[in-house]
Amino acid sequence: MPSPLPETDSASHLDLIVEMTGDFAHSHDVEATLRLGLERIAQRMGAEAASLFLIDEDSGELVCRANMGPVDVIGLRLTPGTGIVGRTIDLGVPQLVRDTRRDPDFTGAVDAATGFETLSILCAPMAVRGTKLGAIELFNKKGGGAFSQTDSRLLQALAASSALALINARLVADMAEEQGLKRELELASEIQRAMLPGPQSEDSPIHGINLPARGVSGDFFEIIPLADGRTAFAIGDVAGKGMKASLLMAKTASLFRCLVKREAGPGAVLTAINSELLETRMPGMFVTMAAGLFDPASGRVVLAIAGHEPPLLLKDGTFTPIEGEMPPLGIAVELFADGCPESVVDLDGGSLYLFTDGLTEARPRHDAMLENEGARALIQSFSALPATERLEALVRSLDDSGGLLDDITLVVIEDRRSGAAAAFERRYPARPEELAAIRAAVGGAARAMGCGESMVGDVVLAVDEACQNIIRHAYHGGEGDIVLRLDREDDRLVIRLMDFAPAVDVAKIHPRSLDEVRPGGLGTHLMRSIMDHVDFLPPPAGIGNLLQMVRRIDPT
Amino acid sequence: MKLETRTADTATVVILSGEVDLRHSPSLRKALMELMLEKRPVVVDLSKVEYIDSSGIAGLVEAYQMARKNGTRFALAAISDPVRRVLQLARLDRVFTIADTVEAALGG
Repeated sequence: MPSPLPETDSASHLDLIVEMTGDFAHSHDVEATLRLGLERIAQRMGAEAASLFLIDEDSGELVCRANMGPVDVIGLRLTPGTGIVGRTIDLGVPQLVRDTRRDPDFTGAVDAATGFETLSILCAPMAVRGTKLGAIELFNKKGGGAFSQTDSRLLQALAASSALALINARLVADMAEEQGLKRELELASEIQRAMLPGPQSEDSPIHGINLPARGVSGDFFEIIPLADGRTAFAIGDVAGKGMKASLLMAKTASLFRCLVKREAGPGAVLTAINSELLETRMPGMFVTMAAGLFDPASGRVVLAIAGHEPPLLLKDGTFTPIEGEMPPLGIAVELFADGCPESVVDLDGGSLYLFTDGLTEARPRHDAMLENEGARALIQSFSALPATERLEALVRSLDDSGGLLDDITLVVIEDRRSGAAAAFERRYPARPEELAAIRAAVGGAARAMGCGESMVGDVVLAVDEACQNIIRHAYHGGEGDIVLRLDREDDRLVIRLMDFAPAVDVAKIHPRSLDEVRPGGLGTHLMRSIMDHVDFLPPPAGIGNLLQMVRRIDPT
Repeated sequence: MKLETRTADTATVVILSGEVDLRHSPSLRKALMELMLEKRPVVVDLSKVEYIDSSGIAGLVEAYQMARKNGTRFALAAISDPVRRVLQLARLDRVFTIADTVEAALGG
């Protein structure tokens, strides 16, 4: 325990410590602050010259990082343990050398090289809680004479404070670097999102969605309408995660956008991407990809697959995987020497689903992986929703159940030719006065979609009842809207009603028991009697309740 | 929806026409309940009803229950196709007394 500083000096010494701490706190430039601190110390202690040495974290050498006086020794490197500095650091206590000629550790090398004459030295260690950082060394007291024990105690205090300030500054610098990296990652994620196609218009036959598991994604998809009425599309998954994967993803997606307009077909596009990727080798990184062209007039897809999960054709409730035999892109040019074969898929009223392994490897509620079976069941369960809502609901159901381990990307291509009648979608205020207009519209739309008169009458009743439920049970008679949508999907009429009220406890609107003659509870029973299926579906974001009613179309 | 009443010798006849939906069913229910207080037999002529939903049917069911309690007669008559369909779907076609014509209902 060093004895206290002399009373008269302690106040000004404290000032010096405060000033230095302030310098470190305000400046991000550690070097400049060290220099300034050393100058203040040398001046206050009346030293002719001063040096500040820090231990190089890699080599252990002592490096002069700040200097004050007639000779500039910044950058001078000393082997650990040499000189008065080395001794001070090793012993961890100040070294006062009143006469350098009588100290065997004084090397005099600098003096010899520069002509400076060192008479006395005062050196104090910079350390914080046992961590040795370096030392501050003062040379020659101004006006002759040697440094005193009081000087020694003062320098010890100042050096300790400098060490603390330096540690703080380093922590701040580390944090700033971390923040910078985080910001860069956020920026990359933003740029990447901007690169993916935005939401497609409702009448687009192709829709896609991407949800990154972390900030940046190695997945991508592309939807590019071509001048001849066809639409080019692609889905890809870059091996690995994080920044590196996302950069390769950006490159592959850009290549696709560029090459799809130049090459003859998707097989040629994938072959060309493979070559381009291998121009600049990224060892150990590869891309699985499926690319295709869809002709909405014929409902035909030309598809090329490179190591990607087999796309699934969903037709009449049955899934058919479209297998490819080519390996992923970016492994070797020779693998695609004979090009990449293409498959022709006639959608024939069905839909083609492309997805990344984020879907098949998802673990809803932390159970087993979905695998192919689970993925099919999940797609099937949402198949009646309109495409955009369907993809959203699919991804969200996985995200909500905490099952999303990887980036997930989905693309769906639909053959809309069978749905000759355009979908009907309209928004109505949820009020009893609107019901007559709703019935008229539903009747017209159902008729246009091929329903016979008796079915039209029933369907109108079912929709009316569903609207009543929304008015009475969802909005409780308050203000709100109902979105009504009718689609013909193959031979089925699919009706969806969406509201924006809080979710209704479905159990409370059960159909009434028919043995019981009483008013009320009848509406739901009517809906279930008329329609083949009446189900509340998990609503997409922003929707309160989503009711779906399906019935096979009876044209008689 | 339009609702008229006429007093016949044996019963009060309610002539319902147009569309009976959630907008109008509260007034149908109110009219029927008031008639029930008179404790006279009631015949509801449904020949001109173009549409009826569960809320309209509920009004008829409530009147039927009240009449049973009072021991008075409550019959539906000349039901139109849309009404018949809803009664069928609701399995209420065997619950109500349904006459082919208003005259038959009055005579019964």
